Amino acid sequence: MTDTLVTEVEQTVDAYLARSYGAERRLTLAECHGWDRAFLDEIDDLGWFALAVPESADGVGLPLSAVGAATMSLGRHLVPGPMVERLLLPALLLRHIDGSGPPRHDLPGAVVALVDPAANGTWSVDDDGVRVESGGLVGSMLPVRFGQEADQLLTVAESAGELAVYLLPPQTPGLDIEPVASADPTARLARVTFTEPAGAGITPVLTGSAAGRFVTELRAWARILAACELSGIATRLVEDTSAFVQVREQFGRPIGSFQAVKHTLADMYALARSLRNLCDAALEDAVSSSAEDLPMLAAVTKAYAAEAAVGVCESAIQMHGGAGFTTETDLHLYYKRALALRGWYGDHEELAHRIGDALLAGAGLAEPGDVS
Amino acid sequence: MTTTVDPTLAAELEEYRTLCRSWLTEVRIPDVPLSLTERFRVLREWQGVLFDAGWIGIAWSREAGGQGLSHLHQLVFSEELARARAPQPIGLIGLDVVGPSIDRFGTVRQRTELLPRLLSGEDIWCQGFSEPDAGSDLSSLRTHAEIDGDDFVVSGQKVWTSWAHLASWCAMLVRTNAQAPKSRGISYLLVDMSSPGIVTRPLTQMTGDQEFCEVFLDRVRVPRENLVGELDGGWAIARHTLGTERAAYTLRRRVEYEVALQDAINELSACPTRDADPRRAYRVRSAVGRSHVSLRVLEAQTRKTIGRLAADTGPVPEDSVDKLLLNDIEQQVYGSIADLLGPLRVAPSGRPLGLDAARWAHDHLYSRAASIYGGTSQIQRNIIAERLLGLPRD
Repeated sequence: MTDTLVTEVEQTVDAYLARSYGAERRLTLAECHGWDRAFLDEIDDLGWFALAVPESADGVGLPLSAVGAATMSLGRHLVPGPMVERLLLPALLLRHIDGSGPPRHDLPGAVVALVDPAANGTWSVDDDGVRVESGGLVGSMLPVRFGQEADQLLTVAESAGELAVYLLPPQTPGLDIEPVASADPTARLARVTFTEPAGAGITPVLTGSAAGRFVTELRAWARILAACELSGIATRLVEDTSAFVQVREQFGRPIGSFQAVKHTLADMYALARSLRNLCDAALEDAVSSSAEDLPMLAAVTKAYAAEAAVGVCESAIQMHGGAGFTTETDLHLYYKRALALRGWYGDHEELAHRIGDALLAGAGLAEPGDVS
Repeated sequence: MTTTVDPTLAAELEEYRTLCRSWLTEVRIPDVPLSLTERFRVLREWQGVLFDAGWIGIAWSREAGGQGLSHLHQLVFSEELARARAPQPIGLIGLDVVGPSIDRFGTVRQRTELLPRLLSGEDIWCQGFSEPDAGSDLSSLRTHAEIDGDDFVVSGQKVWTSWAHLASWCAMLVRTNAQAPKSRGISYLLVDMSSPGIVTRPLTQMTGDQEFCEVFLDRVRVPRENLVGELDGGWAIARHTLGTERAAYTLRRRVEYEVALQDAINELSACPTRDADPRRAYRVRSAVGRSHVSLRVLEAQTRKTIGRLAADTGPVPEDSVDKLLLNDIEQQVYGSIADLLGPLRVAPSGRPLGLDAARWAHDHLYSRAASIYGGTSQIQRNIIAERLLGLPRD
């Protein structure tokens, strides 16, 4: 069932992008780091952002695995913009908001930026997470994708040993959003600072165990989707590189006939294929995974994706020779995107370490900053 | 095992799994001695126990003495065997490789006389394919057979022949037509290892074991009725043999790695000094974490393999992706665990960090063979590049 669904969604998205989203458009969008309202509206009109939004909020109501399928195609075509944010955040949040609060009909159409300190670990020295203090938010996070462009900031904050989830409009008093230079061709970035106390008096959308459940799923799905996008990138670069080495000639023969080149391509294929199979398996299993198993499943998938896809990119650059290092091909764009995704929510080292820790302790997967 | 099979079969397989599991909790599982001769004896007895209880030849036809079930049933039993820390039967080359080829291509007499004894473990089989100058390029083999009356007369040399010194039969590829193109002049013969003119010499592996041998053949007389299939038609049989070998092997090994890593985790987590030194604690967690990721990758990969096995597609180029990953992952898992032995790796008798040093040092060395046997990693890469990516031949 999941299998068929994943294939169908992926094919639909892929067919549209193959038709309407060529190399020239990719370059134009990459030059503005993916911020183009008209393009977002075009995708919105196709209904992709509503795929996993519940029917009660006028969405298509598909399982979240459908978002994974779409994300693989977005990766394959290197589609910039707040895509994962729009595909996932409203859909996931609407599943967790119960009927007791006010309905959030503004969510499906909104550009929501994700301010979850777990996305960046504790890598930034002045980044110490976001906390609830005196009824408002304190802390900062760098980088936040599309922080300045977003209609809402979905913020995960720590509140006296528990989590609280806020939706904050950018005009919230005490909230400072400052653009920073981005090396990710597909995303604009910002530093978000909550000067004390930002958003005082604003009610969180989720608190306590409900917030805990949401955040667990959020982090798991963010990792799975990053892996899916990386899988799309890897698949594409194997195809492109394989085509290139069959036409590029040296010593009077296509370089694809040399064993050193063939073996590199074979390794790239094995990495991309196994990553794809891992993502397919994760999408199939995630929907029915328990809250205890989902974080491990996601961490494993992301850990492998972070290593495998970047490895494929690096080999693709090598196989293209000098041109692979220039901006004459799209390879640098794919590579930079893969590097951006590698670090987001933990790379292979970081995650392998946490996975090992959990297995040895016979416990669940801890997030950085968790009190042990 | 998951959902790539239909629900009815999946339910049947789960029932079968319960049956396997409950039998394995009741039977006495043998300890496997390190000495190879002892090990051979124990594992052969174990095959007899498994045979009597109906767990041998699970995917074989009933006519051939098997259980008439599917490859997936066989896989379930192998999984449960590994999880129960029970050894495999000794006659795997016969059971997985030679037997199915005799069953499919052999004469009625060959099937009825040879297969029952193969299943019970009474006859242990070896497979004489490789030669000193024909490993990866198997079609270049030179061991030759001339017809003389009712016999073939075979001369030449085989190598890497597992258990040849202890086996009673050998399924052998020989050149019967020197004029035909390389792969068209080869025949598949069943050779009684007690025939005059056969000398075997075990080779010592880097693990210290003597599992495979050189086999020297000097004018060995093999009855013509021991030819399997057509004269000069052995190549097709060999390809069939190697194909069925690969998918079944991949699936069985995957479970063995899972069990091994679980053993390592149990040993490490029971060791109180594991976290004493932060750098060492970091290495332990990293080795376990990375190995776990590798095994999940292999599990996801083999869901497709199970689908192919269930559909009985025969060998396909995708098998080479499995084999390549399998090699890398076996070496990553055993290599990273053995690295945790540190300097005690060269004195592998104690329990550094709780690990059974002798076992991990041995298993790591054994893992180096993974990228050589069954088609080297380089051969698998050629297959992937040429047949899956369409790159030109060298």
